[in-house]
Amino acid sequence: MSNLNMNRRSAMASLLALSATGALAACGQGGSPQTDAPAEVGSETSSGFFTASEMALIAALAQTIIPATETGGAVEAGVPDTLQEMATTWANEGVQQFWRTGLTTLDASLIEANGAPFTPMSAAEQATALGAYDAQVYDGEVDDGFYRAFKATVVRAYYMSEIGAADELAYEPVPGEWIGCVPLSEFPKTWAT
Amino acid sequence: MSGGWVAKELCEQGFKVAVIERGRAIEATKDYTDFIDPWDMENLNEKTDQDREEYPIQSHVYAFQSYTKQFWVKDKEHPYETAEGTDFTWFRGYHEGGKSIMWARQSYRMSEIDFEANKKDGHGVDWPVRYADIAPWYDYVEKFAGISGSTEGLDILPDGVFQPPHDLTCAEIDFRDKLETAFPGRRLIPGRVANLTEPTQEQMDLGRGKCQARNHCYQGCSFGAYFSSNSATLPAARRTGNMTLIPDTAVHKVITDPETGKAIGVEAVDVETGESRQITARVVFLNAGTIPTTMILLNSATEQAPNGLGNSSGQLGRNVMDHHSGARGSAVLPGHLDKHTFGRRPNGFYIPRYRNHTEEAEGFVRGYGYQGGATRDRWHGAMGSKGVGEDFKAANRAPGPWRINVVAFGEVLPNENNRIRLHETKTDQWGFPIPVMDVTYGDNERNMVRQANRDTRAMLEAAGGTDIWTSDDPETAEPAPPGIGIHEMGTARMGRDPETSVLNEWNQSWDVPNLFVTDGSFMTSAGCQNPSLTYMAFSARAANHAAELMKNGSL
Repeated sequence: MSNLNMNRRSAMASLLALSATGALAACGQGGSPQTDAPAEVGSETSSGFFTASEMALIAALAQTIIPATETGGAVEAGVPDTLQEMATTWANEGVQQFWRTGLTTLDASLIEANGAPFTPMSAAEQATALGAYDAQVYDGEVDDGFYRAFKATVVRAYYMSEIGAADELAYEPVPGEWIGCVPLSEFPKTWAT
Repeated sequence: MSGGWVAKELCEQGFKVAVIERGRAIEATKDYTDFIDPWDMENLNEKTDQDREEYPIQSHVYAFQSYTKQFWVKDKEHPYETAEGTDFTWFRGYHEGGKSIMWARQSYRMSEIDFEANKKDGHGVDWPVRYADIAPWYDYVEKFAGISGSTEGLDILPDGVFQPPHDLTCAEIDFRDKLETAFPGRRLIPGRVANLTEPTQEQMDLGRGKCQARNHCYQGCSFGAYFSSNSATLPAARRTGNMTLIPDTAVHKVITDPETGKAIGVEAVDVETGESRQITARVVFLNAGTIPTTMILLNSATEQAPNGLGNSSGQLGRNVMDHHSGARGSAVLPGHLDKHTFGRRPNGFYIPRYRNHTEEAEGFVRGYGYQGGATRDRWHGAMGSKGVGEDFKAANRAPGPWRINVVAFGEVLPNENNRIRLHETKTDQWGFPIPVMDVTYGDNERNMVRQANRDTRAMLEAAGGTDIWTSDDPETAEPAPPGIGIHEMGTARMGRDPETSVLNEWNQSWDVPNLFVTDGSFMTSAGCQNPSLTYMAFSARAANHAAELMKNGSL
């Protein structure tokens, strides 16, 4: 591993020397690590398609699907904000309606199954409640296309986020070289890209 | 792709060259998007409704992304039609460098077997060249462009001047061994790709650097690490001081002198202002891409050439070919769970053609090759699988099993009924007739695709694959619509006889001696290999021939 890092460093150094326009453009466009604080999510006020209470439900669901562990979870990774942005600027009316109706129905199903609303539950209760519902969906007992789409989007948004890609998984913006066969012990994590 | 080569060769021979580009000039710092991180991709890289509206065709290209769409045309601005009952998918980009920015960079030589094929089985006309004529030009363009690959000694796929190959993955090596044991006539080799793995001084002098294994090629490469006209041939032409690039200028006609029959230049329109202009030249090369080049020639009809310029044979616009792609398959390969990969290979493996070569075939002539790869599953499966919470997250952190993907690319036969023609009434926004594509595949292509589907499954099974998926039922499979291979070619074919071909052995018009065509239009047959390297070799050869003719005064 140290060998590889060495190679990568020397590769970058020689590139800077030989490909001036290219490599400099490279650094200007995003070579430096981002150190922004995690995005604020689930805040009381909401400016976008989803209302504040919908955002709170989205945050609770997303964080239950991918919780914080030694790395940040969906909320720390800004997943609810990504969903808000997509619902507001990307989704057409049909998609917006699909999401709104789906959230409302999912909320109601969870209340019915657990006798209490999902958002205010403790994290442990949420994990039990959503875990049971998730199993019913993927075991084919419950048909909920919205939940499948929601979960897919949460997962995608998380592993494309900086925390999901670079902290939780392994991300190399400029690997420098390709090696077809390395011991898993050297690179034990899934590559984000 | 091909035009840059012509510009480079002619400029280096001391001639002044005007490169007329219908699209915009490309600036790497502005147009390339190869430093975008996943978290900066708009809308999780999902297409928008507006994308589908503006790019109803182009948005289906594998290389179309939220951050690569600047390289694909807005379909509504560039209409075309298909004849009733036919289908044609036309993928393209109009800008300096053309498809050389977005190409998949696979680079394979055609072999003697390919150059003899038409003569042997009677389809199309005989190529006017043989492998020995073009081999030195393959050497020449490979050395300059930089092709990564392995030396294999295969007659069906000649070796070339290679930079070090990309390693196969451990699962691919295992698959190769099982494949070659089960099917001794088949070989699996590292893909040959126009990415620099060991740049030469000549390449570094042009500002090109080593491939960084990012696999961001479709976004343009700020390292100049893969061959594009923009990274390689145009800079070489530019540094001679002999090249003038004229962007945003669409050529629609080659002008000829009615007395001599020779070309005197081109008529072009400024795509922004609509203003028309003439640009004169001693020699004209057409490298607009197969369909636009054909349209220009058809649109250049004169009293002496009523069916289109250079079309005394009647073959101009005919014999449209592509590569039919399909017979896709995937499977999980067993074992190697203690191994992984490092970096992102802009490449994969290649299985050269074996049908009608080392193995027989029933119901078709020619054959197909496979491209593929086997890497460990990443996180995408989690988007559709059961589980929430810490266990779910932990499971996604570990790489999944090794999964192989393959796709076949097959040869399409030349057929003079497969045509491009000018629309009789409809024009584009500049007033020029739009193309009508009239292309259908026949029994040879259909039978080939069905065999490829059988082979795909058999190979995955022979390798002990599980979770096998194949795209089509071999009994009912149909080739994908023409154009999907993005290798459209053949509409101004080379030949030995002016009665049956448009160009002679030097890519030179039989009818108009100072007119050359070196984009895919010249192809007499298609082979099953990705064709760009062949376009490069013929372009360099033709340009040097034209230079010789100008120097000895015959042009």
